[in-house]
Amino acid sequence: MPTLRDLFQPPLAGLALPLEDLRDEFDRLWSTLATTQPAGPRPARRPDAAPAVNVSETDDAVVIEAELPGLAATDLDVSVSGDEFVLKGTRPGETGGNGEKPAATWHRRERGCGSFERRLTLPVPVDAARVEARLADGVLTVTCPKAAECQPHKVAVRSA
Amino acid sequence: MVTTTSPARDTAPQPAAAGREAQTYQPTVDICDRGAEVTITADVPGARPDGIDVTFDDGVLTVHATVPARPLPGRAVIREYGVGDYRRAFRLGTGFDASQITAECRAGVLTVRVPRLAAVRPRTIEVRG
Repeated sequence: MPTLRDLFQPPLAGLALPLEDLRDEFDRLWSTLATTQPAGPRPARRPDAAPAVNVSETDDAVVIEAELPGLAATDLDVSVSGDEFVLKGTRPGETGGNGEKPAATWHRRERGCGSFERRLTLPVPVDAARVEARLADGVLTVTCPKAAECQPHKVAVRSA
Repeated sequence: MVTTTSPARDTAPQPAAAGREAQTYQPTVDICDRGAEVTITADVPGARPDGIDVTFDDGVLTVHATVPARPLPGRAVIREYGVGDYRRAFRLGTGFDASQITAECRAGVLTVRVPRLAAVRPRTIEVRG
C-alpha cells in the first residue's frame, strides 16, 4: 500500500520542513488506521527507521518506551530538556549486501535502516538530570521524573 | 523462491489470556538468498532467545516469538504500538538442509540461516580450454 510519503513528494524539499512534519504525522495516522484490523497477525510496524513510541504518565514520572531492535546503546542519542524529548539513532543496514558477499537476492526488505529522529512534547516538564534510559532485548525504556514543581503536592488540611 | 504464507491460513486468532493483550503480530523481516543459504532476519523486540520457537516442516519455516507483557506504569499518554507475540511463516520449498538450520536472537533481532543441500547449491563450473 503506498503511504502518503509516496504520494506527496514536496517540490522544494529544503523549504518544506513543517510540511514534512505534517506528512510524517499523517503517515503515522495512516499506518495506525491501516493496521487496526480485528484479528490475526498484522504488520507490527511500518517499514520505517523512525521508531514508534508508547508514553505513559504516573504521579511522579513520564515513561517513554520505544522498540529499537538491533540497536546498541551506542547507536542511540537520548536527550531531554524541559518538556521536550528527542530520540536520535541509526538503525544499522547490516544483513550483508556490502558487495563482498556472493550475489544476493532479496525476497523481502521490510526492516527499516538509516538514521532517524523522533521529537516528543511531554505532558509536563521533567527533571532532565534524573532521567534514566535502559535498553533491553531491543526495547528502550526512558523514565523521566517530573520536575519538582510539577509533582502533586499533598496539602495538609488543618482543622480549625 | 520464498513466499510468505498468508496470515489467514497461517494462524488462527489467539484466545484472549486474562489480563493481557492477545494480539499476535507479524514481525517485519528481511529475506536474503545468497545461493548457499537463505537468511531470514526478523525484528522481534521484547522477545528473549528462550521464548522463540523456530520450526521447519514440509518446506515451511515458522517463527514464533513469545513476548512477555510489559505494561507501562500509570495512564497511557501516547500509544503507537501494541505488545504481543510475533508469528510468521515462510514457504521455502524443497532443497534445504533442515538439520543445519541455525537461529540466534540478539537485541530483539532474530536471524535464521537455512542452508541449501549441497547437491542443489549453485555451482560455477570451470571451463577448460
